[in-house]
Amino acid sequence: MAESEEEVDVLVQRVVKDIANAFKRNPSIDEIGVIPCPEARYNRSPIVLVENKLGVESWCVKFLLPYVHNKLLLFRQRKQWLDREALVDITCTLLLLNPDFTTAWNVRKELMQCGVLIPEKDLYLGKLALTKFPKSPETWIHRRWVLQQILRQSCAVGHSGEQQQQQQGEEAPPADRERSQQLSDHMARTLHQEMKVCSDAACRYPSNYNAWSHRIWVLQHMAKGNVKVFHDELSSMRLWVSMHVSDHSGFHYRQFLLQELTAELSQTPPSTSTTTCSSHHQSSAAPSVSPPPNSHAQANGELSAAEAAGEEEGQLGFPTVPQLFHQEMELCSDLIQSFPGHETLWSHRRHVFYLWHQWRSEQQHHCSSKGSSNSVHLNDGDATLPEVDAQSCADRGDSVNGRGRTTEPMEVDRASLPDPRDSKRLKRGVPPPAPHTLPSEHSFVRGVLDRCSNTEQRHFVLAYKKWLDTVIGQQP
Amino acid sequence: MGSQVKDVIIKPDAPTALMLDKHADYIAAYGSNKDNYEYTLSEYLRMSGMYWGLTVMDLMGQLQRMNREEITDFIKACQHECGGISASIGHDPHLLYTLSAVQILSLYDNVDAIDVDKVVEYVQGLQQEDGSFAGDKWGEIDTRFSFCAVATLSLLGKMDKINVDKAVEFILSCMNFDGGFGCRPGSESHAGQIYCCTGFLSLTGQLHQVNADLLGWWLCERQLSSGGLNGRPEKLPDVCYSWWVLASLKIIGRIHWINKAKLRAFILACQDEETGGFSDRPGDMVDPFHTLFGVAGLSLLGEERVKSVNPVLCMPEDVLQRIGLQPDLLS
Repeated sequence: MAESEEEVDVLVQRVVKDIANAFKRNPSIDEIGVIPCPEARYNRSPIVLVENKLGVESWCVKFLLPYVHNKLLLFRQRKQWLDREALVDITCTLLLLNPDFTTAWNVRKELMQCGVLIPEKDLYLGKLALTKFPKSPETWIHRRWVLQQILRQSCAVGHSGEQQQQQQGEEAPPADRERSQQLSDHMARTLHQEMKVCSDAACRYPSNYNAWSHRIWVLQHMAKGNVKVFHDELSSMRLWVSMHVSDHSGFHYRQFLLQELTAELSQTPPSTSTTTCSSHHQSSAAPSVSPPPNSHAQANGELSAAEAAGEEEGQLGFPTVPQLFHQEMELCSDLIQSFPGHETLWSHRRHVFYLWHQWRSEQQHHCSSKGSSNSVHLNDGDATLPEVDAQSCADRGDSVNGRGRTTEPMEVDRASLPDPRDSKRLKRGVPPPAPHTLPSEHSFVRGVLDRCSNTEQRHFVLAYKKWLDTVIGQQP
Repeated sequence: MGSQVKDVIIKPDAPTALMLDKHADYIAAYGSNKDNYEYTLSEYLRMSGMYWGLTVMDLMGQLQRMNREEITDFIKACQHECGGISASIGHDPHLLYTLSAVQILSLYDNVDAIDVDKVVEYVQGLQQEDGSFAGDKWGEIDTRFSFCAVATLSLLGKMDKINVDKAVEFILSCMNFDGGFGCRPGSESHAGQIYCCTGFLSLTGQLHQVNADLLGWWLCERQLSSGGLNGRPEKLPDVCYSWWVLASLKIIGRIHWINKAKLRAFILACQDEETGGFSDRPGDMVDPFHTLFGVAGLSLLGEERVKSVNPVLCMPEDVLQRIGLQPDLLS
């Protein structure tokens, strides 16, 4: 099917326009793809739009891509001029076919800098590209740049709003407060959209490193220290990881969330404000992402009623650190038992136990350096069921691998003496969290070995045991 | 009950002999048809593609089959005003392709074909306050770029031009509890990033900061029943991880922790007897990327018919000897 250069030129320009017009006709296009179609139908566009799906017939791709590719490069080398509209359309076409073409994304960055494109356009284009290319590194990289532009813009607005506040005294005028609220809502929406984009990409490709590391980046930059967001993420991901037990990146995300929550909840008081700029905005009027009832009060540093009443529910109504770890270890145990032989689940256990173990060591160190006056704080987090204590006493008789006990477990046991408040809790029917200790982990290992018939499961549980002995058992 | 472990099964008729001539022919002919659609698709990484092809040819003693002059002219045309080098003519500059270009010119002992001072200026300018490196002027941070920066400057003998201490500080902030490294602080450990970070620490003389036993353990857990290596738990084996994982193990002095014979058998099984070249796993399509890392992996395993490869820079040892570059390795 030989075509002259002019014919190709005309054809391609039409196709590029067809694609641009498809977006104008239907701003809700949510997926792209190539339609296997070896030959052109007479005089019909290769661009097919059905419901919200945009398809390109495969016969034209081999003409289309090299043509627009070279056209863009000629522009980049200043050998051929392209007006802004042409640049927008051509880069759009290119990136839907080859989203790892870095230079095309860079052209769009420049268009954004001179106001021809708005950031939302590229978030949308990127989202579409990811439906077909869920790993595309350059798409994720461009996305982060675009989000940084959005953050910078909102920061500038936020700053000018604050300056006015300072000039006019404590109370900002209603218009500024509203604008600040709108800004915060915009940030919250952007954040949630990013979570959705990451989620979709994670579903499309197993253990999608780029999608999950982007998700982490977004929280690090747009939800710094926001306990509510981290906790909501932890809750909402529970079901997903249970259905994707091989997805190492998904489980790593939970480890990241746990680590962040632990760090935040170990300080007082944690923040719930959405990060638009630097952390000194915590006391501003910006509320949390999906505000719990007391958010405004909390943002202004006042205690919630729950906080003032006592520490049973932990700070701001969130679980305590021990409760979080307990829930995570339980989830891990359930999955290990339901899905034997998955390395990811054992890897997750190592991570979670390590974080828990580290946190407890830090708490003890904190307590022992401050003396017994802090025992209330520690015991609240480290309460023990009497049965567990008995178990650790029994285990103390076993030496692991013929080696004697190290000093660390002894200190743990001393610190986890039964707390009088525990019996009150038990009477009220609220069990305190059971801690996970080295002995209880060895007990878990023995349990799995007794029950297991799966070769891989046996291999992984023995590796876990070795890890407990080598890495945890020998820590100072 | 079926096996849960993700792995491949090597068929009995898989290749067991190393077909170096076929691979040399494959690389020599690659890209000769520049109108090829696939070729256009991959133009955004052309400089790295050339580095993969030329390095594997040199390892096989076949570099003379490639066109030194054409390649040098191409690289010159890819250096931009800012000093950075792009993947191909007309594309934007980036640290990744700046390193690949310097590696290629080092193979040819011709780094002065480009403006070296400008390259150094470009690399220097990408270092951030926290010691990390951006990949280009648009600011993406990734430990890969720290590796690219120090590798480039090491080859040019200009490591003193950056803040090495700060750069080290950033890399160490990316070390995870399992001894591995991710792309940024808090990121999941990944064999490719681990290679970049251990390579970085080697080039900056900081290998003592690695927990070699812990990391070595994580790395050797990448070996599956097929003998192949994956990059993270529950991923399929891939020949390129025969490089990222193996080279990392060599750098930290724990290469004896994997089963060399089984790995060698896996790598050989990834050859294509008809077309030449290696693919990611047996039976898939070949490409220059996997061809380099298959051959380089075999070299690390002691293949005598292939030149010795340096585990830090993935270049022939004799080239680095000529330059006088001998990055640290743990024993």
